[in-house]
Amino acid sequence: MFALIDCNNFYAACERLFEPRLEGVPVGVLSNNDGCVIARSEEFKALDIPMGIPTHKIDPALRRRVVLKSSNYTLYGDLSARVQQVLARQVPTLEPYSIDECFLDLRGMQEDWHALGARLVRSVAREVGLPVSIGIAPTRTLAKLANRQAKTQPTRPQVCVWQSADAPELAAHLARLSPREVWGVGERLNARLAGMGVLTAAALRETPDSELRRRFSVVLARTATELNGHPCLSMSDLETPRRSILCSRSFGRPLRDHNALAGALRHHCQRAGEKLRRDAMQASAIGVYMRTNPHHAGTFRHACEWTALPFPSADTQQLNRAAQRLLARLWQPAAYQKLGVMLTELTPRQQSQTTLFDGAEPARREALMEAWDAIRARYGRQALTLGPQPSDAPWQMNSAYRSACYTTRWDELPRARAR
Amino acid sequence: MSMTPIALAASTSAPASSDTLPRGASGFPSPADDYREAPLDLHHHLVRRPASTFFMRLEGDDHRHAGLHHGDLLVIDRAISPRPGHWLVAAIDGELSVLHLERREAQLYLAPSRPGLATLPFEADDDRLWGVICYAIHALPAMGEEPAEPSCLR
Repeated sequence: MFALIDCNNFYAACERLFEPRLEGVPVGVLSNNDGCVIARSEEFKALDIPMGIPTHKIDPALRRRVVLKSSNYTLYGDLSARVQQVLARQVPTLEPYSIDECFLDLRGMQEDWHALGARLVRSVAREVGLPVSIGIAPTRTLAKLANRQAKTQPTRPQVCVWQSADAPELAAHLARLSPREVWGVGERLNARLAGMGVLTAAALRETPDSELRRRFSVVLARTATELNGHPCLSMSDLETPRRSILCSRSFGRPLRDHNALAGALRHHCQRAGEKLRRDAMQASAIGVYMRTNPHHAGTFRHACEWTALPFPSADTQQLNRAAQRLLARLWQPAAYQKLGVMLTELTPRQQSQTTLFDGAEPARREALMEAWDAIRARYGRQALTLGPQPSDAPWQMNSAYRSACYTTRWDELPRARAR
Repeated sequence: MSMTPIALAASTSAPASSDTLPRGASGFPSPADDYREAPLDLHHHLVRRPASTFFMRLEGDDHRHAGLHHGDLLVIDRAISPRPGHWLVAAIDGELSVLHLERREAQLYLAPSRPGLATLPFEADDDRLWGVICYAIHALPAMGEEPAEPSCLR
């Protein structure tokens, strides 16, 4: 059996944990830079404010009734790790799927699945303080559907168990479900399935394997097999490896000065390099793009250029050197609103391969980057930067309504009042 | 990057390996090598269950009689079941609040210290409970009221 555990309205729940006054209040969480709504509490959803709505387009009358929060990934990341620790202690294998979801591989366990599910949900609620729901079924694909079903239950704990793929309630559920709702079936695949008369998840799992393989793909055939209760998909089947990295940000105010833009670019290169090294990847090509505000008067300027790196690299300084050369070529006097750096042709990192023209002592460079990351992880991101990077610089993130980093910063601990 | 302060603090104690210990200039191993033990780690002593342990700062002096002072660092473990006599953090009136759990006859109460506040009946699985306080760390005058943490730990 497999389980999918999902934290209900995770970001809003994290905000509420340290601010009990938000209980029962509509809470919306904003994207990086406070641009639009990316997460909503149940009360916020009930107001019919859609996901993704730009912050400034929320009706002012509604705006007064809700609480908006800047996203606080430091806090969400810490709480996510705690949820996983609590679960990992109780089951043989835990596979994180996203910041608020993880799969549990329960094979080898002999349990009353309802009781196990209820126990897991309660342990997270008690130890971390976050509401979660759980779906348990014979395959990951079915567990994901079971989890969705669990979320519709009005009673706590939200647990949905499908003992086997032939369970009558499961068959009835699949007969009402569009294939689009199944893990790994996208919009286009759904349209093609509809074209051949496959309109429900039940019809999808009854379609012969050979036909799915011939007309679609092995992965879709496996999805159907999973709907029939036979586990055959691994997590990696459904995740396309990251092929590119993008670090960009709109400026709080337009930037004209070449020096200021160079500072923003250093900041982005630094983040891009960290992302690369975190994923143990290296990039072969780097691009820089910059643009003015399309909604402002004056000529719109958009410039973008790529260059190949001399050799694949995850070295922040190498990335920055190449990016700064691109910037020098692209820059013309204008009021820029956005600047970004892109990395592509990502490949898994090789051990130091020396090239003839390298001469950069690759092993020492790698050690330098390792020390760099370790220092920033331990002493904070402001402790070591590539050139000066003031925290009020216009390319730093705009997060006017960010909650405190309650669990990771001594000077932002929650306050508990003596009564 | 490590997201938890727990992992950061734990990493500050270097692993005690006899391979990495400095040797005397003469090249002879130190006779103390065989007796080397890991240094005492206060964080591990205070935080038994990292996943359910949180830190908070106490605000207000109403519990001074019980040795809980304004500015004290509270260590809260949500995994502990509350019992009479425990100090709790509870969400009261939308605010994280510190109260004492007391039993009078068969009923449990959250007892405030501040004059004029009413005691609140407390149920076994009361959803106002946030967590049980296991330590209050109080800084003595040498450290000032609220100890400034070294900026490198931020």
